[in-house]
Amino acid sequence: MTGIYVHIPYCVRKCAYCDFCSVPRDDTMGAYPAALSREIELSRDRLPYEGPVPSIFFGGGTPTVLSAEALSGVLDTIRRTYDLLPEAEISIECNPGMADFQKLKRLREAGFNRLSLGLQATENSLLQSIGRIHTFEQFLSTYQAAREAGFHNINVDLMHGLPGQTQQMYLKSLETVCDLEPEHISAYALILEEGTPLYEQVQMGRTILPDEDAVADMEDAGMAYLTWRGFERYEVSNFAKPGYACRHNLSYWDHAPYLGFGVAAHSSAKGKGEWLRWSNTESIPSYIKKLQKDKLPRQETLHIDKKEEAFEVVMLGLRKVAGIPKNAFIDRFGLTMEQAFPEAYVEIQCHGWWADTDTHYRLTPKGMDYLNTALCYFR
Amino acid sequence: MDQSHIRNFCIIAHIDHGKSTLADRMMELTDTVAKRDMEAQLLDSMDIERERGITIKASAVRMFYTAEDGQQYMFNLIDTPGHVDFTYEVSRALKACEGAVLVVDATQGIEAQTLANVYLAIDNDLEVLPVINKVDLPSAEPERVVQEIEDVIGLPAEDAPRVSAKTGLHVEEVLARIVDQVPPPSGDETAPTKALIFDCLYDNYKGALSYVRVFDGCIKPGMRIKSMATGHEFDVTEVGVFTPQWKTVDALSAGEVGYVAASIKSVEETKVGDTLTDVDNPAKEPLPGYMKVNPMVYCGIYPADGSHYGDLMEALDKLKLNDASLSYEKETSAALGYGFRCGFLGLLHMEIITERLEREFDLDLVTTSPSVVYRVKLMSGETVVIDNPANLPDPSEIEYMEEPMVQASIMTPPDYVGPIMELCQNNRGIFEHMDYIEKDRVKILYTLPLNEIIYDFFDSLKSRSKGYASFDYELKEYQKSDLVRLDFLLNGDMCDALSTIVHKDRAYPKGRAVCEKLKDVIPRQQFEIPVQAAIGGKIIARETVKAVRKDVLAKCYGGDISRKKKLLEKQKEGKKRMRQVGTVAVPSDAFMSVLRING
Repeated sequence: MTGIYVHIPYCVRKCAYCDFCSVPRDDTMGAYPAALSREIELSRDRLPYEGPVPSIFFGGGTPTVLSAEALSGVLDTIRRTYDLLPEAEISIECNPGMADFQKLKRLREAGFNRLSLGLQATENSLLQSIGRIHTFEQFLSTYQAAREAGFHNINVDLMHGLPGQTQQMYLKSLETVCDLEPEHISAYALILEEGTPLYEQVQMGRTILPDEDAVADMEDAGMAYLTWRGFERYEVSNFAKPGYACRHNLSYWDHAPYLGFGVAAHSSAKGKGEWLRWSNTESIPSYIKKLQKDKLPRQETLHIDKKEEAFEVVMLGLRKVAGIPKNAFIDRFGLTMEQAFPEAYVEIQCHGWWADTDTHYRLTPKGMDYLNTALCYFR
Repeated sequence: MDQSHIRNFCIIAHIDHGKSTLADRMMELTDTVAKRDMEAQLLDSMDIERERGITIKASAVRMFYTAEDGQQYMFNLIDTPGHVDFTYEVSRALKACEGAVLVVDATQGIEAQTLANVYLAIDNDLEVLPVINKVDLPSAEPERVVQEIEDVIGLPAEDAPRVSAKTGLHVEEVLARIVDQVPPPSGDETAPTKALIFDCLYDNYKGALSYVRVFDGCIKPGMRIKSMATGHEFDVTEVGVFTPQWKTVDALSAGEVGYVAASIKSVEETKVGDTLTDVDNPAKEPLPGYMKVNPMVYCGIYPADGSHYGDLMEALDKLKLNDASLSYEKETSAALGYGFRCGFLGLLHMEIITERLEREFDLDLVTTSPSVVYRVKLMSGETVVIDNPANLPDPSEIEYMEEPMVQASIMTPPDYVGPIMELCQNNRGIFEHMDYIEKDRVKILYTLPLNEIIYDFFDSLKSRSKGYASFDYELKEYQKSDLVRLDFLLNGDMCDALSTIVHKDRAYPKGRAVCEKLKDVIPRQQFEIPVQAAIGGKIIARETVKAVRKDVLAKCYGGDISRKKKLLEKQKEGKKRMRQVGTVAVPSDAFMSVLRING
């Protein structure tokens, strides 16, 4: 099984905290979908692929800056080229105000069955402070339109630790969103990334972020609230109603193979012998140019040896509340966790952070709070 | 060249008064260095010297000057450091000379540190030639400065050359004066060889080099020489002079200055101040000994990464050859592991050594709180000397303690007298005397405990006087004092590297300040960490480093994985640079950040 990720790098405007690969809409947008389709076709025989495809994810950027036709076209190319599971999860990210009922309906009809809406906060003042271009009201109408268009699996992204945000405000955001009854909520702590406008503002003292403890309080209070509202935490920052965990994202944390298409997209799959990670060029013009010449736009390839692969399995797998299936780990590496990482295993035991079951290696909630500390023992 | 045509001299000047620039002009005028090869301030060859605009190491250069009478003279210019910490280096350089050019800035006048060096020169029977520099500046007052030289030093200065080292104005006249006024050396070329080592240097290719002034006889390759202090014997492999690059010559004879390379294996075998003589025809008496230097300030130096202990030892061995005033011995600390207890002439000296260790040897260091040398009278009647707070006996065994006092002399424009006196008062200073040297220069004398000035006294003085005040000190005497050892505890465990001996009245503010600083620099860990200051087990100040609540990446998806791995790598690297104090991980820089805090 191999997942597929498609990157659409365009945005109306880049948010103040964003350090993903995204650019303003420009005249490369016309040629981009065709280049994507070309890449998908060329890849079929040139990249390691083990079918079928259980999930597809269109992310960005803002995928919905492209027309429904362009997006459907790319999805069709995938269908034609790769063998999809009939019940495959096909997600697309959308920003509020970027798609009306008609567009959403066309996307739904084309086969997209999961919508991820980047709301981030319900207060318009907060949205403005982090450079979002939409309002809460726009979100509401997009959300309702999506429901009407037949999306029965919707995720809403929310953030905490925003400038000027209090715990009360955050809980209110969660309440407002829970009342809409989405199937999935991603609740992220803001990561202040170097090089972003927000980082500069904070460095200059023009923006003040809530302190570490306040953010931790918001996170803990939010987790409890979501539990109360019937959401299950299944990953560090992800919550879902039973049966609605995002299969595509889970495949990342399961360290399953995936192919990434589009500019700056990353892929991960088993090569001949060792595991490989590779990424595409970050330049849109050179991405398009290469594909016009029928060349794959690969920029860099990393060879992951067995030890590194085991570390990755741990680093990603322990993000899941359910943890890492013991059988899968032993099948993959021929060793138990205790054998593969004896020192780390004991260190974490000393901290009291293991919450292993018969079938899974997993961390306690406390252990998950200190995941980075825990992971350092595995290095 | 016969000795009557040799002139050995040095230049004495305050920092920034233009010594190095004057030396550069002299080298140009004598065609020692072609103008196009002239790199500003050639003598200051160390990076740190150029950056800080100061001379740390004595350096020497040979020039040939053709005087007006058509005769050629050999000049050996020996450069000297200008800072108070380096009196010993100056004294060595002076020993090798017959004359000293005193450079005084026409816009500034004489500074306290210059005075100290002038007196040192006069004590060494050197002919002192005053030169007024920077006369090209609009604010120059050469006549006032001439008057000052005559009043303060008592040197006739009326006909002192008025020069601009920057433009080259009247520099030629300085050269002529050197021929006329500096006496030639008067050694005996036929007598048994006596050569004084005034500096040492370690060269990666030539090994240990001794910079010498030959007084009697000569030194040439093939000779077997002997150190009169240690008795070690060496075969001379090469002798040479400074042009200012090293240049080999056939021999160095009486009156000359140059370097000697010999089969010196260990850095311990050559000592600055030592006399070299001929094994086959040895001198009876060595040259008069040098002033013995005693370190005034001690601190522990440790590698930031414990595995670099060997590298640190090797680096210190090499620096020691370069800097005779540095002393060190092995030491261990519970917090920092293996390192060295090092003795320095002063705080600037300490800074320069640590900086040189880091730059020239590519080491990453942790230094502990500086300490002076205390005398402790025990109940048993015995007196012990303590330069490391960790070794202080239990208070119950101590009858009393004594600390070193210094006589500090501060020169300042009158406007800053108030703030400066306040600073001295705050540092337990005892006012001695104040003198208006002239209408806009005041000399203030204070008795100050040395342990108060080793932290940030000099910086505070500069900032309170907008940089105008200068400061000089000499060790005076030991005085009984009410001293205590201030300890710091992290989560209940004492951190020996932070312990410091302070006056009782200063203990609380210092303890508070250090706790506050530690609270900021110790990263939050998974548990709450009390940070405490204590005297003899009694807690006098406390701060708390709160427990970290979350240490997890909020997001990690497909494209992030390689990047997030790098982040973890960085976090792991950071951990390696942490020192474990009991249960608490302390970053290496945390030790440094509390060094300069003085309550």
